[in-house]
Amino acid sequence: MSDQVIQNVIIPAAKVGLLLAVMGGLVAYLTLLERKILGFMQLRLAPRRVGPRGLLQPIADGIKLLIKEDVVPDGADRGLFLLAPILSIIPAFAALAVLPFASTPFELFGYEVTPYITDVNIGVLYVLSITSLGVYGIILGGWASNSKYSLLGALRSAAQMVSYEVPLGLSIIGVLMLAGTASMVGIVEAQRSSAWWFLVPQAVGLFCYFVSAVAETNRLPFDLPEAEAELVAGYQTEYAGMKFAFFMMAEYVNMIVVASIATTLWLGGWMRPFPNVEALAFLDWLNWAHPALSGLFWFSVKVLLILYIYIWLRGTFPRYRYDQLMRLGWKWLLPLSLANILITGLVLVWRNP
Amino acid sequence: MFRTEMMEVNMGPQHPSTHGVLRLALTLDGETVVDVKPIIGYLHRGVEKLCEHKIYVMVPPICDRLDYVGSASQNLGYIQAVEKLAGIEVPERARYIRTIIAELNRLASHLVWLGTHGLDIGAMTVFFYCLRDREHILDLFEAFCGARLTTNMFRVGGILDDLPAGWVEGCRRFIDMMPPRIEEYEGLLTNNRIWLERTKGVGVISAQDAVSWGVTGPMLRASGVAYDIRKTEPYAAYDQMEFDVPTRPEGDTYARYLVRLEEMRQSLRIIRQGLDRLPAGEIRAPKLKTRMKAPAGEVYHEIEGPRGVQGFYLVSNGGETPYRCHFRAPSFVNLAAIGVMSRGGLVADIVAVIGTIDIVLGDCDR
Amino acid sequence: MSRAMALVRSIIPIEMLQGMLITLKNQFRPHVTMEYPKETPDLAPRFRGVPRLRWDPESGEELCVGCLLCEQICPDNCISIVVDKRPSGKGKYPKSFVIDYERCCFCGLCVDPCPTKPITAIYMSHDYELSDYTRVQFITGKDRLYDGHPLKKYER
Repeated sequence: MSDQVIQNVIIPAAKVGLLLAVMGGLVAYLTLLERKILGFMQLRLAPRRVGPRGLLQPIADGIKLLIKEDVVPDGADRGLFLLAPILSIIPAFAALAVLPFASTPFELFGYEVTPYITDVNIGVLYVLSITSLGVYGIILGGWASNSKYSLLGALRSAAQMVSYEVPLGLSIIGVLMLAGTASMVGIVEAQRSSAWWFLVPQAVGLFCYFVSAVAETNRLPFDLPEAEAELVAGYQTEYAGMKFAFFMMAEYVNMIVVASIATTLWLGGWMRPFPNVEALAFLDWLNWAHPALSGLFWFSVKVLLILYIYIWLRGTFPRYRYDQLMRLGWKWLLPLSLANILITGLVLVWRNP
Repeated sequence: MFRTEMMEVNMGPQHPSTHGVLRLALTLDGETVVDVKPIIGYLHRGVEKLCEHKIYVMVPPICDRLDYVGSASQNLGYIQAVEKLAGIEVPERARYIRTIIAELNRLASHLVWLGTHGLDIGAMTVFFYCLRDREHILDLFEAFCGARLTTNMFRVGGILDDLPAGWVEGCRRFIDMMPPRIEEYEGLLTNNRIWLERTKGVGVISAQDAVSWGVTGPMLRASGVAYDIRKTEPYAAYDQMEFDVPTRPEGDTYARYLVRLEEMRQSLRIIRQGLDRLPAGEIRAPKLKTRMKAPAGEVYHEIEGPRGVQGFYLVSNGGETPYRCHFRAPSFVNLAAIGVMSRGGLVADIVAVIGTIDIVLGDCDR
Repeated sequence: MSRAMALVRSIIPIEMLQGMLITLKNQFRPHVTMEYPKETPDLAPRFRGVPRLRWDPESGEELCVGCLLCEQICPDNCISIVVDKRPSGKGKYPKSFVIDYERCCFCGLCVDPCPTKPITAIYMSHDYELSDYTRVQFITGKDRLYDGHPLKKYER
């Protein structure tokens, strides 16, 4: 086997496999984390019967969903019904391909391995396009189930995800203008000179992005497609067993993806706070092992923080109504993100005429 | 060129937000509600007929199971109807204790309402906070009578037993604890813009409509009609209590929310007064026969329950059992107005409206 | 000016942050859950579990005098009593006293008219863990009314 093959095929494939495995576990434990945090907010105990302190709960859930009967409702479009969960989970995982978890490459068996799968120069565009494919799974799932609740949920989510795609994309542009590149690694590197990364200059952009991202991932307060009080479970109403688990995993992987994007674009990715201050280099305390580990550490801390805010929102807020959601998207977030672009542009022109 | 169809959706009886076994036949135009028909009777147990075969003292445990969230006030209403029928005088202390318990029960019921209403609109956490505080009320009930939900603690001519030692202090601790807790729920909801958008202007019912549909209780008061049986025809010891009847002119879901929250504060006020003035003395009228007979005649007695006016109509032919028994269930009457309140709204508004009516299907179906 | 303030307030969701602070604070409060089978609740002295019978604490004789008042007042008709003359001579006693626990609604009405005051023969016990594998087990005769319903543990 030539070096070429190993470098370009074997190593990326191994990285993909590793990432899929790790993500599967992370998603499972994210559900547990969510239940735990919600439980503490609501003065409950949260799961703690399976394993020590409930730590094996996700595994028990997984086994339960695996061995459940695989129901396909009467009158459902069988092919689409089976296809929908797969369509919703593949884009979710595919978006992970360009996320830079850390930067410094490390040596493994004499080969140089980067701690992310790939870095393409249109990374941001790739993520945007791939994540917007996820809506097909939801629409097809809702349509194919032959249930009115599912259909209503699917229609809601189609409208919601298409509308919020716009402010989501526009809110990123400010960052792209500052960084001057669409490569994920390049964007992170561009934040090295500023103490608070792009968080301060692009705070409005982050706000718009965060709100749209919550809507994109169908989380409370924007979880209309699956509003359990109105539509039972929206597009997932008729799904059971592993197919339901796929939808569920897609939702949580999407959460991780949007949190990672926010981290990369605004929170300096793998960089420690104050990356421009040499005196604080001790914050990279994992450097003694490898700089990539330290990067991974900071990246995870930031992602976890954003995920925590996600769960916190869910624990606090009521749910928007459909028309109000649309109004918020088109009347507030869209102008706000456009204004952000305009002001960013003006500032850039003023600084470097 | 295009033909559009209305969509018929059956909401319930198995649906997470119909508060039990209510079925709503919705006609939807997209997301807009064109028509809504409540279909009830899934919890019908024939209680009124059943009561005709029970001697007077047997009925209270059955009344408990009508409106199981506000069971003490159901109990109180029935017992007072029997006392009115048989002309029994109730000692002062018993009347005070009845008032305190009824108000505690109103508080418990409103807490359940607030929690489930919030849950319907998506605010999950409020539910847990409300139930946490309701637990204290149920503990007080348990200490007083031994049961938590279906209490059966009033007896014809008085109450079950005197307050146990330490009960008054426990109750005082509870009412001191409660106002900050209500602040907490308000902090989560009252000014929250999502909550405002979901409730303001939703499920509006005008004072005119409310009166013609026979809507009572907080729903009527939120439409601007200050009608409260506790003021108009005081029973128990309400004539000696000072309290306000909160009203709002808007008649929408948010107004009902504010009215109920204010009622919770007024309940605390009444309980505090009751505890302060609690007279000593007997708690039960002189010995009554277990198989008491009521003189022939009929009686209609109304009380202000947590959900509205609870009426108890008894006909006696002089025997040991009521000849005819009818309960006016506020849930049933209020639910009838759901059409007026939700036509033209969205599907999400239906859920808010069900929550704001505060139905208990046991009460509704009987 | 006030309109500008209103605009600012409508853009920046201050009141929502207040709500988030409340949930954040509550996260550090102690939980209120009771893990039931592991911990059991402290019952109030007046707690109403299933009705049971008791002996006279002094003489150790049966307190019940067979007056049938509890049978008459029970709204669920779950009590059935057969009365006989006491072997010792004076008074009556229940030869058989059966309560159908499946029908009992724990209302406590049967205790009310019991004539053996102040210690009533029938009383609301603190037993609430009633479970069994067959329905017949709930038709409770005198022996178990005195000794209590045996606590069945799940076995399989």
